[in-house]
Amino acid sequence: MSKPEWTGILNLDIENRAGKSVPKNVYFHDALKVQRPIYHGRTGRPCYYILNVGGGYLDGDTYRTEVRVRENAELTLTTLGATLIYKTPTKPVYQETEIFLAENSYLEYLSDPIIGYEKARYSQLDTIHMKKGATLLYSDILTPGWSAEGRSFSYDMLQLRTNIYMEDELVVYDNIKLEPAVQKIDVLGFMEDYTHLGTFIVISEKADGELVKRLQEVINEQAGDFKAGISSLMVSGFTVRVMANMTQDIEKVFSACQKLISETWYNKQLSSLRKY
Amino acid sequence: MDSSLLTLFQLCDSNFPSGGFSHSFGLETYIQQDKVVDPETFSQWLTLYVQEQMVTADGYAIKLAYEALENDNLEEIWHLDRVLTVQNMSRETREGTRFMGRSLVKIAETIYDSEMINLYSKRIQEKKSNAHPAILFAMAGHHLKISRDTTILYYMYSTVINLVQNAVRAIPIGQTAGQQIISNFQPILKKAVETINTLKESDFGTIAPGIEMAQLQHENVTVRIFMS
Repeated sequence: MSKPEWTGILNLDIENRAGKSVPKNVYFHDALKVQRPIYHGRTGRPCYYILNVGGGYLDGDTYRTEVRVRENAELTLTTLGATLIYKTPTKPVYQETEIFLAENSYLEYLSDPIIGYEKARYSQLDTIHMKKGATLLYSDILTPGWSAEGRSFSYDMLQLRTNIYMEDELVVYDNIKLEPAVQKIDVLGFMEDYTHLGTFIVISEKADGELVKRLQEVINEQAGDFKAGISSLMVSGFTVRVMANMTQDIEKVFSACQKLISETWYNKQLSSLRKY
Repeated sequence: MDSSLLTLFQLCDSNFPSGGFSHSFGLETYIQQDKVVDPETFSQWLTLYVQEQMVTADGYAIKLAYEALENDNLEEIWHLDRVLTVQNMSRETREGTRFMGRSLVKIAETIYDSEMINLYSKRIQEKKSNAHPAILFAMAGHHLKISRDTTILYYMYSTVINLVQNAVRAIPIGQTAGQQIISNFQPILKKAVETINTLKESDFGTIAPGIEMAQLQHENVTVRIFMS
């Protein structure tokens, strides 16, 4: 079978050169693009902003991103704005990301929300391979887009699958599939009174039970109309899940968690990823 | 009725000491939040639990494990044991399920003469496998030559009985109301088996956000009679 013709490709390869994390290789093609990295504060950690050149994802689009963070290197990866999925009359949008984190590497992959507009179908597959001592902070948010009739769930399907391996052993398997086209979404046990769903996963040797306990307290202190839960993974790490009606409420919970993590692990303030 | 069916019934019995009686799988959170208060709201919760969580995780896993047993594909079985365990984001529910899996495997090892169950038990002791009730059920059903669909149906039926018994104690609801729910669930369970047979790999373990949230939040429920 011939290789699929991707609508957009991005490859990022980051290495540690004398204490500073720098690109070893950056390649992008067609609809995906990154700008020159920004080094926030004095971290020595580059921050790349992924940009969808077309502004939104259209029928049948396919995207592939591959990220490597080499030994002792660090990277912050985010999107320049929300991922907008427009209607897909013939074929869902497909996006896959494969990430390799070498020993003692560090990756923050904090994306802006994925917004599903009327009749949109989107399927995402993220696979992350981690080596011992690597640290991962990963978040995503699913939200419904504006619809002409004012319905909350006018998209047809949004699916996010995330597989994380530590030393080749599966440690996280997450499969979110919201399919208003065929499911009752707003019922007890499903999305209930909420429209937005956020996930924040952290894996690190430093993410112990004590940190999870303190994060739980921080989450409880946040005000807003949301439901949140946190629980430890089978490896050192945890998942935070948030259901809300506004992206800001989810981001507030995630930021509060990141702030505590940053203070606990590095005794420093969180640098803002402000984009506008 | 043949004796192999009776033997599988033993595993489904609510008196079978699997430990299911100590786990509500997030139901207790809904009870404390006054969202599940009577037979009707409990039925809503149970329907979602069966249709969205049991079908794509445990039920689908039994189908895949049973097929793997027919094809002697042991690697696939061990993989399913792993993925079923890690897809559970709530530590309490995950640990509770592992505990139930270990209890079931231990007893099944004594009452069945199955090489596969003995092997599973050995792997669990060696910490190579996690232990999951669904995997054990697939092994027992296959060993007893019960059909795949019947094995799935009995597994889900035994889960429903167990959860209804828990609801009777915790909400509480009457015994008669509980039996009425079990009876009403027959078509839902049959439909669930049909759904399982249409699933694709990419459907495995899709979450029901509200059910999962309740399982995560159970860690914070202060007064509780269940461990999950």
